[in-house]
Amino acid sequence: MLQAIADGLLNGSIIALGAIGLTLTMGILRFANFAHAELITWGAYVALAVVAVLPPLVGAIAPFSFGLPLLIGIVVAMAASSALALAADAAVFRPLRARRSESMTLVFASFGVALLVRMAVLLIFGGSAQYYSNELTFAVEVLPGLMLLPDQVFTFGLTAALWLALHLFLQRTTLGLSMRALAENPDLTRVNGVDVARVTRWTWIIGGSMAAIAGVLYGLSVQLRPEIGFHLILPLFTAAILGGLGNVTGALMGGMIVGLAESLSVLIIPPEYKPAVPFLILLAVLFIRPGGLFGALGVAR
Amino acid sequence: MIRQRLLACLAAATAIAAAQSAAAQDCTINIGAVLSITGPNAAIGSAIGDAGRLAVDHFNEAGGAAGCKLNFVLRDDQGQPNVGVDAAKTLVSIDRSPVILGAIASGVSLPILTSVSVPSKVTQISCCSSAPTFTELAEEGGTQGYFFRTLPTDRPQAVVMAKIAKEKGYGSVAIIYVNSDYGNAMAKNFTAAAEAQGIEVTDVVGYNQEQASYRAEVSAALKGKPDALFLVAFPADGATITREWLAFGGSKQLLLSNAMRAREYVEAVGAQHLTEAVGIDNAQTEGPSVEAFNAAWTAEKGSPPEGPGLHTMYDATAVALLALEKAGAPDGTAIRDAVREVTGGQGTTIYPGPEGFAKAKELIAAGEPITYEGATGPIKFDENGDVTGPYLIWGVADGELTTLDQWDMARVDAALAEVSGQ
Repeated sequence: MLQAIADGLLNGSIIALGAIGLTLTMGILRFANFAHAELITWGAYVALAVVAVLPPLVGAIAPFSFGLPLLIGIVVAMAASSALALAADAAVFRPLRARRSESMTLVFASFGVALLVRMAVLLIFGGSAQYYSNELTFAVEVLPGLMLLPDQVFTFGLTAALWLALHLFLQRTTLGLSMRALAENPDLTRVNGVDVARVTRWTWIIGGSMAAIAGVLYGLSVQLRPEIGFHLILPLFTAAILGGLGNVTGALMGGMIVGLAESLSVLIIPPEYKPAVPFLILLAVLFIRPGGLFGALGVAR
Repeated sequence: MIRQRLLACLAAATAIAAAQSAAAQDCTINIGAVLSITGPNAAIGSAIGDAGRLAVDHFNEAGGAAGCKLNFVLRDDQGQPNVGVDAAKTLVSIDRSPVILGAIASGVSLPILTSVSVPSKVTQISCCSSAPTFTELAEEGGTQGYFFRTLPTDRPQAVVMAKIAKEKGYGSVAIIYVNSDYGNAMAKNFTAAAEAQGIEVTDVVGYNQEQASYRAEVSAALKGKPDALFLVAFPADGATITREWLAFGGSKQLLLSNAMRAREYVEAVGAQHLTEAVGIDNAQTEGPSVEAFNAAWTAEKGSPPEGPGLHTMYDATAVALLALEKAGAPDGTAIRDAVREVTGGQGTTIYPGPEGFAKAKELIAAGEPITYEGATGPIKFDENGDVTGPYLIWGVADGELTTLDQWDMARVDAALAEVSGQ
C-alpha cells in the first residue's frame, strides 16, 4: 500500500510536469496541442545525445545513477524542446492563427507536427530502447515496506521545485500576469497593450522546457523510446483536464491523481487493466465536472 | 480426393510454369513480410527481416522462382495487430504477394491469419509466433491449412523452464508475463508444470506493453517474496521490468523466455546482474544445413547469426519460395499444398544457399521429389502446420550470452510426459 502510494506519486510527478506545460499552452493558446507529448520525447532524446557526446566529467553523483552530463543534458534539452516548440509555432500554428482558423484545424495540424517529430526521432536515434546509464542503482528501504530509488527522490523534488517556481512566476511577475490575463480574456488583454506575441513565445518556452524535463525524468526512471510521448498523451490530457485548463496547480494535482489511481488500481484490479484507469477518470471528470476539479483558467486567484 | 485436386493443381501449375519460362524473366513476384521494425520487438525485427531478404537473394541468385524474379517487400507492424493487418492487406491486394511471412508476435500473426490470409487464400508462414492458439485454430479447421510456422509451440518451453526451476531447487516462483496469447499461454503452462512438481507459484502478474512504468506490476510480483522470477517478455519491456525488479530487491534468480536472448536486453540490464539468470530458446540443431546458413549469413553480415528468429525466418522464406517454385505460379492455395511436397523427408535433400536452391529448381523441373533441410535442421510440418524442435538453455557469462545446456527432442518429450503424467 505504502509502496503503491510512493510509486504513484513518483509516476505522477512525471505526468504532472508534462501536464503543466500542456495546460499552459492549452489555456493560453486555446487549442489541444497533441504535439506537446512529442516535445517530451524530443527533450529526452536530446539529453541522451548530450550524455553520449560529453565525457563522464565526474562520474555519477552518489547516490544517483547520473552525473553532471545529464544535468547539462537537461538544460540543453530544455533549450532544444523550446526551440522546437517555437519552430512549430512559427511554421504551423502562427500562420493558422493569423488566418483565424478554427481550433479543430489547429488540433489536426498538431497531430501532423506530432507525427513528424516522432518519425524524426525514430530516424535519428533508432527504434530500440535506450538508457541514460546502464548502471543499476538499488532501492533503499526507507520504511518497512517502502523502497525508494535515489533517482525517484530527485524526480519528486525537482517536480515540486519547478511547480513552486512556476507558481511564483505566474503570481508575482508582469509576464506571469500577462499570461494569466491572456488565458482569461485574449481580446481585453490585447486592448490593454500587452505584447501578445511575446507572451505566446514565453508560453511555448515554458511549456517546452517543462516537457523536456518530464522527458528526461521519464528516461531516467523508465527508458527512452520514440513512443514515449505517444504513450503519455492520454495521462497528460487527463491530468490537464482534471486540473482545469490553464491551471498549473491543478495540472500538478491532476498528474498526481492519475499516477496514484494507476498505481493503486493494481491492488484492486488485475494489472492488465491498468491502462484503462486514466480513461475512466477522464470520463468521470467530463461527466461530473467538465471544468476540471480545480476550476478552469484560474491560478489560485 | 485431395490427391486428385493436388494432381490437377500440379498439372495446371506445370503448364503455367512451362509457359512462363518460355517468356523469360521479365516478371517479378513480390514476397511480402510483416515484421516489427518499430515497437516492442524492434530490437530483433530488422535482423529477422534481413534473414528473410537473404533467402530471397539466394533464390534470385539461383534464378528466381516460378519463372520470375523475386522482390522482398517488408512492412512494419509496429507490434500492433491493427497495423499488422493493414500491412498484410496491402501486401496481398496491392503488392499481390502470394505469401505472407510473419508476423513476430502471436497477437499480430493471429488477426492477420484470420482476417487476411485465410479469406484471401494466401499462405502464411511465421518465423516467430509460438502461441498454442494457432494449433487449436488449425484443429478446428479455422486456418484451412494456410498457416505454417517454423518455430515450435510454447508449451514445451514452459514445461522445460519449470523442470529447470525444480532442478535449481527454487521453492517458489512469481511470474510476470506479457498480456498476449503468447504470454498467457506461457504463464498458464508454466504454472501447471511448476505446481505439478511441487513448486509454489506466488503471484502471476500480467503486464501490457509500452507502459510508462512497470513498478506496480513489479511490486505485485514481489509481494510473495519468491525465490525466483519467471519473466515472459520481449527485450525492451523485459529490460525495464528486470531493472525495476532487481532495483526493488527482487531475486537475481531469473528464468527468462526466448525473446530476451538478445544483446540489447543483456546490455540494458547489465550483464553483472544476470549471472544467475537462465533462459530458454529454440536450439540451432547442428549439421551441414545449419552450417550452410551460418556461413552464408556470416559472409553477408560479417558476424555470425545470433538472436531469435534469424534461422526460423530464413527457413520460413525458403520453404515459401521452394513451394512457389513447386507450385509454378504465385497462387496461395497451390503454394499451401506444395509446402508439404518440398518438406517432410521424402526425396533429395536441399540445403540453404544459392547452390542448394539451384539444385532444387533443376529437380523440380525434372519432376523429382525434394525435401528441404534448413537453417533449423530438417523440417516436417504436422497436420496443423507446426514443427517440433530441440531447445537450448542460455545464460550470461563474462558479459556475453552463452549456451549452458541442450535439450534434444527425446529429453523434451520425457519432460512433457513426466509433467502431464502426474
